[in-house]
Amino acid sequence: MRAQFVLSEIWIGLRRNLTMTIAVITTVAISLALFGAGLLINQQVTEMRRTWDSQISLTIYLCTDNSPSAVCEENGAATEADREAIQADLDQMSEVASVEYVTAAEAYADFQQRFSNQEALVEATQEGDIPDNFRVKLATPDDYEAVQSAVEGRPGIDTISNDQGVLDRFFGLLDGLKWAALTVAMVQLVAAALLIGNTIRLSAYSRRRETGIMRLVGASNFYIQLPFLLEGAISGLIGGIFASGFIFATKYFLLDRIQSWFQFNVTLGLGSVFYVIGVSIILGVLLCTIASFLTLRRYLRV
Amino acid sequence: MIHLENVTKVYPTQKRPALDGVSIDVDKGEFVFLVGPSGSGKSTFLRLVLKEEKPTKGRVHVAGKDLARLSNWKVPHLRRRIGCVFQDFRLLPNKNVFENVAFALEVIGKPRRFIRKVVPEVVELVGLEGKATRMPGELSGGEQQRVAIARAFVNRPQILLADEPTGNIDPATSIGIMKVLDRINRTGTTVVMATHDAAIVDSMRKRVIELEEGQVVRDQTRGVYGQAY
Repeated sequence: MRAQFVLSEIWIGLRRNLTMTIAVITTVAISLALFGAGLLINQQVTEMRRTWDSQISLTIYLCTDNSPSAVCEENGAATEADREAIQADLDQMSEVASVEYVTAAEAYADFQQRFSNQEALVEATQEGDIPDNFRVKLATPDDYEAVQSAVEGRPGIDTISNDQGVLDRFFGLLDGLKWAALTVAMVQLVAAALLIGNTIRLSAYSRRRETGIMRLVGASNFYIQLPFLLEGAISGLIGGIFASGFIFATKYFLLDRIQSWFQFNVTLGLGSVFYVIGVSIILGVLLCTIASFLTLRRYLRV
Repeated sequence: MIHLENVTKVYPTQKRPALDGVSIDVDKGEFVFLVGPSGSGKSTFLRLVLKEEKPTKGRVHVAGKDLARLSNWKVPHLRRRIGCVFQDFRLLPNKNVFENVAFALEVIGKPRRFIRKVVPEVVELVGLEGKATRMPGELSGGEQQRVAIARAFVNRPQILLADEPTGNIDPATSIGIMKVLDRINRTGTTVVMATHDAAIVDSMRKRVIELEEGQVVRDQTRGVYGQAY
């Protein structure tokens, strides 16, 4: 195998169809960028779900004298007996890991601390606006609904809140984004494959004299096709390298920025980014090589 | 060396067979003229030997190999034993004489040292010494055909197929080309040459196989072109 010969053939091929080569690289880059962004969002969502699911907790607010809900109006403010009964029942449940009773004063202090940088909010809130409550940590976060329905409607319980509802809506948005990116990526990848096919066909056509002679003097099929396959692979590689820039940008300018809105900052590590870039580049190179190979099978027959 | 046994070739788009029950034997070291009008099956014969086509019926043996049983990936190795020369030279216009000849060795992966040693020898054998750095466009037709012959012969094939090699060349220059082919034949290479050139066939006095409508109508050792056409 003469490396220099093959390399010069590739260079000639890429240069001769410069406009097509640029079109191919652009298409590959865009499709891989979208594909990579989709993968990255997917990883982000998985990672966030894992973090948030393990953190999921229920907050059971107890009735106060001025709670507006029907249960509270009927039974009045939670009594000491109500509170103990609820605590006992929660302690018995196997889904529950721990129950913490938080008085209104403690809740207010916690609130003040957490939003200490938003003075207006803190000032507008008084002690007692957050009623006494139970913070229930779950052993199996998936079972939060069972716990919730078991105690819901009992005398003394005002409302039960969980953070799942908010998260589901947010994850729904990210999932939508992911599927949009992946769908466009798929369409682009098909377009890229067709473009590659066309470019390689042009390349094979413009070098038909050379390949004809190679065939005649007994060059192996592999040797005849290698420059074309590598031409495709290199286009794919260059496209992938451009795409990796976009993938980095997606992480730093989109996903990390979104994370800063949240209490638990779940940023993806560099490892995940490089994994996504690696997958994207390999996909690009494989796609281009396979598209070239399929084209060659039709246009460079032995 | 080349052995055809009852070979029939029908192209899919045509009714009349291009070759019709042809049996031909060419021994090692022979020089054979293949004559006959256009469409008589000469080119089909050459294509069958190169395994560019498969016979519809019958067997083709080349260099001791049954081509029907030769798998596709071994075909390149068969072709390395066969040199080919055409009427239209088929040189690479952007490579000089040396590079054109060397190309045939490069693409079958021969080492550069070997190429540097062998190519000048062959360029000299075909009578182009001192012209190794010329581009094809700077050469006469006869010289271009010599380059093509050098390229076909540089890998020392056992068989040299020539499809009307003098078809584009004037008669005086053709004699030179024939001398080169004869020289190659004397090295032990089997030469099969399809031609319309009566003068050349008559002057060489070699074996002549005449095809007509896909059938062998004459097979003469030390023959002439004949009056058939």
